[in-house]
Amino acid sequence: MSARERNYVQISGQGAQTLMFAHGFGCDQTMWRLVTPAFKDSHRIVLFDHVGAGRSDLAAFNPTKYSSLQGYADDVIEVIRESKLKNVVFVGHSVSAMIGALAAINAPELFEGLVMVGPSARYINDGDYTGGFTAAQIQELLEFLDSNHLGWSAAMAPTIMGNADRPELGQELTNSFCRTDPEIAKHFARTVFTSDNRADLAQVSVRTLILQCAEDVIAPTAVGEYVHKHIPGSQFVQLQATGHCPNLSAPHETAAAIRAFL
Amino acid sequence: MSSLNDIEDLEDLYEHSPCGYLSVSLDGRIVKTNKTFLSWAKLDREALTGTRLHDWLHIASRIYFETHLLPLLRMQGYVNEVAVDFLFAPDNRLTTLVNFIERRDEQGNVRIIRMTVFNASDRRRYEKELLAARESAQRAGAEVQKLNDALQARIVEADANHLRTEELLRQAQKMEAVGQLTGGIAHDFNNLLAGITGSLELLDRRLEQGRIEDLSKYVSAARGATKRAAALTHRLLAFSRQQDLAPQPTDINRVVSDLQEMVRRSLGANTSLEMIGAAGLWTTVVDRNQLENALLNLCINARDAMPAGGRIVIETSNKWLDQRAAAERDLPQGQYACLCVTDTGTGMSPEVLARAFDPFFTTKPSGVGTGLGLSMVHAFARQAGGQVRIYTEIGQGTTICLYLPRHRGPPEDIDALAATTGTWHSVRAETILIVDDEATVRMTVSDALTEAGYHIVEAADSVTALKLLETAAQFDLLITDFGLPGGMTGRQLAETAQTMREELKVLFITGYPENAVFENNLLAHGSSVLSKPFAIDALIEAVSSLLPGVDNRV
Repeated sequence: MSARERNYVQISGQGAQTLMFAHGFGCDQTMWRLVTPAFKDSHRIVLFDHVGAGRSDLAAFNPTKYSSLQGYADDVIEVIRESKLKNVVFVGHSVSAMIGALAAINAPELFEGLVMVGPSARYINDGDYTGGFTAAQIQELLEFLDSNHLGWSAAMAPTIMGNADRPELGQELTNSFCRTDPEIAKHFARTVFTSDNRADLAQVSVRTLILQCAEDVIAPTAVGEYVHKHIPGSQFVQLQATGHCPNLSAPHETAAAIRAFL
Repeated sequence: MSSLNDIEDLEDLYEHSPCGYLSVSLDGRIVKTNKTFLSWAKLDREALTGTRLHDWLHIASRIYFETHLLPLLRMQGYVNEVAVDFLFAPDNRLTTLVNFIERRDEQGNVRIIRMTVFNASDRRRYEKELLAARESAQRAGAEVQKLNDALQARIVEADANHLRTEELLRQAQKMEAVGQLTGGIAHDFNNLLAGITGSLELLDRRLEQGRIEDLSKYVSAARGATKRAAALTHRLLAFSRQQDLAPQPTDINRVVSDLQEMVRRSLGANTSLEMIGAAGLWTTVVDRNQLENALLNLCINARDAMPAGGRIVIETSNKWLDQRAAAERDLPQGQYACLCVTDTGTGMSPEVLARAFDPFFTTKPSGVGTGLGLSMVHAFARQAGGQVRIYTEIGQGTTICLYLPRHRGPPEDIDALAATTGTWHSVRAETILIVDDEATVRMTVSDALTEAGYHIVEAADSVTALKLLETAAQFDLLITDFGLPGGMTGRQLAETAQTMREELKVLFITGYPENAVFENNLLAHGSSVLSKPFAIDALIEAVSSLLPGVDNRV
């Protein structure tokens, strides 16, 4: 199976530069649907789903490979190489910011720039480092995922049954976006929330933009500042948008910030 | 008035609905709640209003809310029935299902997010029970699967072992049969050796005396006994040898005839063996070794069914089985060569009959039989495309018949085994009656004693001997084997003879040395025992010590 099929890669738009958008933990490539129209006339646009999300090939899921973010970063590199993408600026939301950083460290020649939307180098507090969550809280999250997966999948299951390519079903559908396999989502949550990429930041050599939201409970401002401080030469932009998903809550502001960086 | 009531009603409906209602601003702060929700939260309205919704969510729900629910809500304007846990205080966790819907103003901007909260505590408890039940069912299923897999592996292994074991079993079964024959065979060998040494000694004696006429009969007697001994060992070895199954066109009569000598040896002297071979018996395709094995097993079973002795008949015949007869025997219609072994033994009860072919089923005492004989016979017959039938009656006896399909073609030739018979000879003197079923023994004893000047009369079995004793003829000494055909042991014959003729002396000759020791202690006056093989001198000495009155020796 090609990387393109595995990650349900969608390529559109025209332009010398390629914008490769990556979704984070939760949802799939539809997260970018309000942002991408702003670039469709000026850029080549690449969208994809991480394995386990959206319309990726669930059979490609390998718990060992995807027990670290490196597994996801390898997929990104494979997609770029296979589709022979040039002049790539990787726009990663949430955990994909770090996935992009790892890919750019491994194959810097493939990347022209990195845009990190709500990045976190580590979610769990560690001594002086503020990640936003205590170890006990993340432990509670993981236990909740393990012990209560019927409750978890009760929320997730409709997302699997959703049918995004039949919008005519409209309101009859429940949660037609963000399709995620519940079991893989659990595994992904463990990988994401126990990750620690602080040591990797210094090795990022490509141009980097960090977009930070206000009142982001997943990636608080202190975390974004930490990432900015440790990636040499990175730019930091504080958005007006609140929450963790400016690509949905403030798509215009997000697109403008990205364009300014390009 | 009525509109005021309506408003009151609506307020009542809002505040006391079985659902919690929350209005949340676009930046995630709680604007309004109903009393139902407040009662679940155990908080004042003031404590909640203006706070951030996600601050009241359990950590897992908070992360999920930010990463999944809000994006969904942004994209589709609503989220239905998602599981959310609130945590109002460390001891007040509320498990809910929540619906979100965006309410927009006339310009299409989101005005407020409306949340409907269902208390799902009971449902979640029920879900957990279901989950636990499913997990234990899965565990049980996995356990069963594991057992199944193990069983499957063992079946495969057992299958592999099965062929090996079957081969070993066939050989073991054969060796068991050989073991059961050994007693009789040893006896037989002693008889043959007695014939050989006797002939040689007589030759020796004649040569010493310079009487060289008519010596060839001793040579041929010794040669005959030697050939028979050789034939016997040949048959035993051939039978014991591990051989691959090689079905070939076979004449059952020939097999029976070759084997009957060995069978006869294994029977007690009080069991007679009769063979009735059908002329023109049809050929059948079987493994000769297995057929021999089957026949021996049937004969051994027949013998063991007659502890007090009796009669065994081995009979062959051609059978035409029509549709009905064939169906009765679970066979295809057609022609069969039939081999039956009949005994006059104890017979089988219906219970025993029902299990006769079961492996390891035996009525014999522990250690005597493996219980495999008949099951092997049955397997052999089925393998050959035939059948085994048992006809039995308690106290009357049993007939077991093998039906083997006819093969149109001649049997493959096998080495015929030479057999010779001894010659009869007697000269006039004191009269000695020699009773022994072994012709060579009779001949050598007879010749030696004729040489020594005695008048000899021979009998091959007890019946003939008694008939002779009932006549007025003179008999001074009875020489008899312990084991005799004709329904009487040598000892019984001697006792009967001595009641008829008080003066009659008895010399027992026996191939069983241990019998000799035992019997010597119980011998009546005027009797003694000689073990085979014996020297002619020892024989003559024994005879002359029993008949001291007249020395007729040459």
